[in-house]
Amino acid sequence: MKKAFEKLFRTQVWRSIFRHGLPLSNRTRAEAVFYNFFLHVHPTKVRKRSVKFTYTWGLGGLSLGLFIVLVFTGGLLMLYYRPSVAQAYWDMKDLQFVVSNGRFLRNMHRWAAHAMVAIVFLHMMRVFYTGSYRPPKEFNWVIGVFLLVTTILLSYTGYLLPWDQLSFWGISVGTNMVRAVPFGFGDTISYLLLGGTMVGENALVRFYVLHCFIIPVAAVVLMAIHFWRVRKDGGV
Amino acid sequence: MNNLRKYFALASVALLIVLAVSPLKDYFSEWRSYQHQYNALIETLPQRVKPVPIGIKQQWVQKFDRVDRCETCHLGISEPALKNAKEPFTTHPNIYHDIDEFGCTVCHDGQGAATEYKESIGKVKFWESPIFPRDFMEASCAKCHKEQNVPEAPILNEGRALIEHSNCVGCHKIDGYDKQWVPRLDGIGSKVNRTWLVNWLKNPKAYFPQTRMPNFLLSDDEANNLADFLMTFTTPPPTAVMEKLPAQLTSASSDAKAKMIALGSTKFSEARCISCHMINGRGGYVANDLGKVASKVNEAWLYNYIAHPKQLSPDVEMPRFRFTKNDLADVVAYMEDQFVDYDAPQPPPYTPDPAAYEKGLATYKKYNCAGCHQLSAVPKAEEMGPELTYVGSKKVYEIDFGSTTIDQNLPSYLKTKLLTPRVFTPAMKMPDFGFTDEQARAVTVALLGNTDEKIPAAYIVHPKPKSTFMPQGDFGKLVKSLSCMSCHVMNGNGRLVATDLSMEASEAQEKWIEGYFKVPYSLRPILTERMPNFFLSDAEIKTITGYMEKVFVVDSIAHDVKITPAAIANGKGLFFEKYGCQSCHQVGGKGGYVGPPLDKLGTRLTQGWIFHWLKDPEAYRPNSIQPDYKLTDEDAEALTAYLMSLK
Repeated sequence: MKKAFEKLFRTQVWRSIFRHGLPLSNRTRAEAVFYNFFLHVHPTKVRKRSVKFTYTWGLGGLSLGLFIVLVFTGGLLMLYYRPSVAQAYWDMKDLQFVVSNGRFLRNMHRWAAHAMVAIVFLHMMRVFYTGSYRPPKEFNWVIGVFLLVTTILLSYTGYLLPWDQLSFWGISVGTNMVRAVPFGFGDTISYLLLGGTMVGENALVRFYVLHCFIIPVAAVVLMAIHFWRVRKDGGV
Repeated sequence: MNNLRKYFALASVALLIVLAVSPLKDYFSEWRSYQHQYNALIETLPQRVKPVPIGIKQQWVQKFDRVDRCETCHLGISEPALKNAKEPFTTHPNIYHDIDEFGCTVCHDGQGAATEYKESIGKVKFWESPIFPRDFMEASCAKCHKEQNVPEAPILNEGRALIEHSNCVGCHKIDGYDKQWVPRLDGIGSKVNRTWLVNWLKNPKAYFPQTRMPNFLLSDDEANNLADFLMTFTTPPPTAVMEKLPAQLTSASSDAKAKMIALGSTKFSEARCISCHMINGRGGYVANDLGKVASKVNEAWLYNYIAHPKQLSPDVEMPRFRFTKNDLADVVAYMEDQFVDYDAPQPPPYTPDPAAYEKGLATYKKYNCAGCHQLSAVPKAEEMGPELTYVGSKKVYEIDFGSTTIDQNLPSYLKTKLLTPRVFTPAMKMPDFGFTDEQARAVTVALLGNTDEKIPAAYIVHPKPKSTFMPQGDFGKLVKSLSCMSCHVMNGNGRLVATDLSMEASEAQEKWIEGYFKVPYSLRPILTERMPNFFLSDAEIKTITGYMEKVFVVDSIAHDVKITPAAIANGKGLFFEKYGCQSCHQVGGKGGYVGPPLDKLGTRLTQGWIFHWLKDPEAYRPNSIQPDYKLTDEDAEALTAYLMSLK
């Protein structure tokens, strides 16, 4: 058994992935962390009180967990959903009535989305009340605010996709509110969002692309920076 | 640390259980259980029925842009062996359309995409078209079938006929219906008496149960004022020429009067007035009841009306009978003597109101009398009801059910409204048409079919374009004056009460037509004689036959048959032996009563007509009961020769 492992460790495939030996000495232990993408963001030291559960309530981690659930269920929903006026609503009905576990997927996606908005907001409150926005963490607070905005935008863009009365009028009201932006920008932004002057096929496609590609990518980039900063500043 | 591991283990197990709920729910779904039940059920049947493979069954109805999954559970729809099975497995009764082409929800509504009972019948939140109630099912036919007579939909057809007959378009805009003729009210003050008018306004059906005029449920004051208002319109239409009553009507001794009445009675029946008119509920259905007319209109009006109906009442269907002045006086005397209403109800208490004209006018406008009646004082209908062209698409949330406790859906709203028009709010103005429950249901069915649903143009059955044929010239004038088209059809135009005259000259011999107008008789002994005697002059009859011989001819009917003694004998044999025609037709006083008697047929019909009629009766009269024997030309010619010999 031991021999087999040793043989495995000597193969070129293994050595190309793990460029250090087994973590048996201090040096190789340090290398195991430095050369690993997932581990290298660790801080050099963590204060005991910041590991305490009642200090963070794990809200940031929960938000990330929900985001992963949303990406997973959303990706599966994308297999069945077509963002077109003729089909969107009926694809949703198909998810409800004929796709295996389709209703579960959709409900998971919906509840996780609601929960994520709530948890991200609670997370921000926690950061505020523990004063964790203070120097040197001002930049990460700003990133966090952007992440709250992306969360809310993800929730809002997803609202149109079922293409029922609720979503149609929800987005109509929302984009009409956007038109109140002063200095003549309002109409332009609203036109840009809808791809027209009212909620229709173009708006559906734009919201779909925003919901499934542009905003999630932005969120991932922001999260990467956010987590890296958290770690470097001594957080979990 | 150990505790944490325990929690982790517990949480993992809980997560697994939660994750298992969804697949389990999928597996134990309602439709799967129905399919297993179906497969178990067919095992018990004596016939061999193919079991269904487990899985969702759906139809993609491409042309109507929908997916129906009803057959996932309704598995026996096209399986006759399951005729007596319980729902959801029973066979679909009489399918007039291919299910694969039309799907289910096109007619039945409901949620076709659903695979659960509650969702599929659509009685769930946010589904606007739940399953269509069975009592009103034929309304779905009307979405595509816009033609006059929809096959296999008697209730719908009755409803549409009732809408047309009741003149609903007087107050409601409804596409596809024509406005019916209603007498104009100018001159009513010199036609009827006030007592009759008040009673009529209070309840028209008490005087004439079959009248179109609905009951507007007027109060006594409203009826009195409206009557006073209407009685001020005494000037007859400008076309009218009012003659004075002849002296013998106004000042005859009682002996002379009795003689006049007796003569009038004879003329009245000779003219066959009851072919169109009822006398106290018995007689024709084309015109109104004359049983109490002497208590309604005054004598001078009656005299002048019969003399020139269309002058006093433009566009009325009443023909102008060619009575001599004396005959006319006799008929009027007879009607005045006989048709009196002895049981007229007491009119409501009345004290003249100085503002009766204004109040009556307001009532006239309020109930939109101008929607049906013409009156010079109110030329335009202003108080129209809502448009009903798309009433079938009205949503439940658009309906005010008032304080009623009926089912909160459109069919029950419409039916209740038709039966008790003012029940939802007292401010409603719709009159009571006196519909029976069945009639109200039929009208509801026809109304529910008026939807704004988008149906592909290829599936809509349009009504046949109406013929506008109208003879011109001298014959045309006669047709108008005698209202021939109220009972006869000519080239597709007219009301078919009697016969279609479009081929008349190719069917009947000219001599016979001439004689018929002198003394009309019914061809079939089992029918009552209907054709009125208009007392036409010889010149008028010549005009009619002359026109018919030129226009009402179909060249292909002409057929030359050689009438030889041998052919006659051969035909007689075929008539009595081979085809047994005498079982329905009378010849020489013997035979059946189903068809018309054939004596003297040789003087009535043309040989070409007899020949073609025998060859293919349904080509000429689609509903004829004359059997089609698929005769050879020789047999048909021999029978024609025999029948032409009956003179």
